Amino acid sequence: MGIIDVEDLKKHFPVKKKAFSKQEWLKAVDGVTFSVKDGAVSSLVGESGSGKSTVARLILRLTPPTSGKISFQGNDIQTLKGDSLRQFRKSVQIIFQDPFASLNPRMTVFDTVSEPLKVHKLVDRSGYGDYVVNLLGKVGLQADAMNRYPHEFSGGQRQRICIARALAVSPKVLIADEPLSALDVSIQAQILNILQELQRESKISFLFISHDLRVVRYFSDEVAVMYLGKIVEHAKTEDLFNNPLHPYTIELLSSAPKIKPDGKKRKILKGDVPSPINIPLGCPFHPRCPQRINVCDQIVPEIKRLEGRLVSCHLF
Amino acid sequence: MSLLTVRDLTISFRAKKHPLQIVTNLNFSIDRSEVFGLVGESGCGKSLTALSIMGILPQNAVSEGEIFYNGRNLLKLDNESMRKLRGKELSMIFQEPMTSLNPVLTIGYQISEMLTTHEGFSTKEAMGRATELLRAVRIPSPEIRVREYPHQMSGGMRQRVMIAIAIACNPSLLIADEPTTALDVTIQAQILELLMDLKQEKNMSILLITHDIAVIAENADRAAVMYAGRIMEASRVSNILSDPKHPYTIGLLESLPKTKGIPLKPIPGSVPRPDRLPPGCKFSDRCGYKISDCLKEEPVLREISPGHFSRCIRAEEMKWEL
Repeated sequence: MGIIDVEDLKKHFPVKKKAFSKQEWLKAVDGVTFSVKDGAVSSLVGESGSGKSTVARLILRLTPPTSGKISFQGNDIQTLKGDSLRQFRKSVQIIFQDPFASLNPRMTVFDTVSEPLKVHKLVDRSGYGDYVVNLLGKVGLQADAMNRYPHEFSGGQRQRICIARALAVSPKVLIADEPLSALDVSIQAQILNILQELQRESKISFLFISHDLRVVRYFSDEVAVMYLGKIVEHAKTEDLFNNPLHPYTIELLSSAPKIKPDGKKRKILKGDVPSPINIPLGCPFHPRCPQRINVCDQIVPEIKRLEGRLVSCHLF
Repeated sequence: MSLLTVRDLTISFRAKKHPLQIVTNLNFSIDRSEVFGLVGESGCGKSLTALSIMGILPQNAVSEGEIFYNGRNLLKLDNESMRKLRGKELSMIFQEPMTSLNPVLTIGYQISEMLTTHEGFSTKEAMGRATELLRAVRIPSPEIRVREYPHQMSGGMRQRVMIAIAIACNPSLLIADEPTTALDVTIQAQILELLMDLKQEKNMSILLITHDIAVIAENADRAAVMYAGRIMEASRVSNILSDPKHPYTIGLLESLPKTKGIPLKPIPGSVPRPDRLPPGCKFSDRCGYKISDCLKEEPVLREISPGHFSRCIRAEEMKWEL
């Protein structure tokens, strides 16, 4: 049991119907089960379109699931109302990918960071100033940033403001949806250090969503690999990186460029990710899988527990 | 002899008061069938350098210096001769495969346009050749794809089409400006493998521009690290990675996460605006190795060991291991 438990979560979006044709569904998330452990960093990795961000939106209750259950500290979040819903909103916060789009250009940094305090009535109005200065300090910004507008800041600084805003309500869980990918390499390291420090000091649980395997390996305790709306492998970070089992995980790890080329000819995955509207029958990965066997295009593999990890593949 | 030599290239934008200098005194050369990498963060002038080689800088930008291609100075060529080179001998692929193709023309038309313009093919011949080119960039069922439109293809496929257009006339130099940044890792690996195979087959040189030092590590022969419009370090890729001699290069390598639990050592601060660069060494305000001499005058790019250049007065003291 974790702080967040997700059980057989599904989210299917209706596709705009053409005249006389059958209603089609885009299966963004298709039966996902995992949990975010208290005080740990869980990561979701996968290519674009694999459903990572939809999972984040579902956990935040920004969009209702088609089926399945999400619990926060044991309570089903779909049943929350009134005060308990407000408490939930306070406990789970998010940082988005694009710090240029996720700050209101007409609000000063002070307004942005203090807004959650007003909404949740956490501090007295007179205490806002000190509280905001303290938060900005935590993310490495000076107090004089308070009265400036987002356009006066660089991408890295804006991402710091977004983190400060998320921290304002002292959340228990922080969802970070590709928080580094819009930033330059040298700035990525600065933001990653801030997140790491927060995690260590405040014991915030993280759901970290990224496609950058190097960052995931460095930052997270557990990794779930997603492909076309399903989790294909879920393991402890070191197990996954040292000994990936699922063919997709193997291919994904080998396709990332390395600083120290090992001279080995890389295995390169053929083809594109199929459209999530027409997910292949059987195992969704079978058309691209180099280790395909007979049953793969007919039967969806079940999730199997193997040496403390979960794999969804007919080979095991 | 090298295929392309860039000498003292300076690019600036006309502005109200002073011209805004983005690229300053750039010098590098690319040999035949070599992959040369340009690495740097956004705003360091990598893309402007590429645009200036292609002669497609924005209207309000001015370039000075010399760019020699096969002994001819590209910056001195008139528009007509430049047009004949562009697309035929020099070609370029861009970061955004989503926006660099024309949405209302078929893939086949966009490829064959190169052949009818530069090689004098008839429309029919050109369409046939377009199918072959799609096959060369490994697009499945090219006979069907050649009649399709860009929106019917995925990002990776569109980038392949861009490559097909770029290699249609067998160019000597292909400029790839962040060719894989918008793509997923598995697709990135496919595209880079394709580029390297084509380079072998067609014996062309590639100028590979990227912000990802790992992409350079695996694919380039030599590389230059750019910062604030200047080359900070240039050498064979293996030298840059195993024995970097500039604090900025070291900073970039240190920024990459390695062992879990060890805090990263990021480069402090952020890239300064081009009109607010510090005096002396342009990296001095973020540099951990700064001494008072760094601010006096800008260091020159000097040869530390054969073929290894660094723009740092303390380059000899740098010791760093991966």
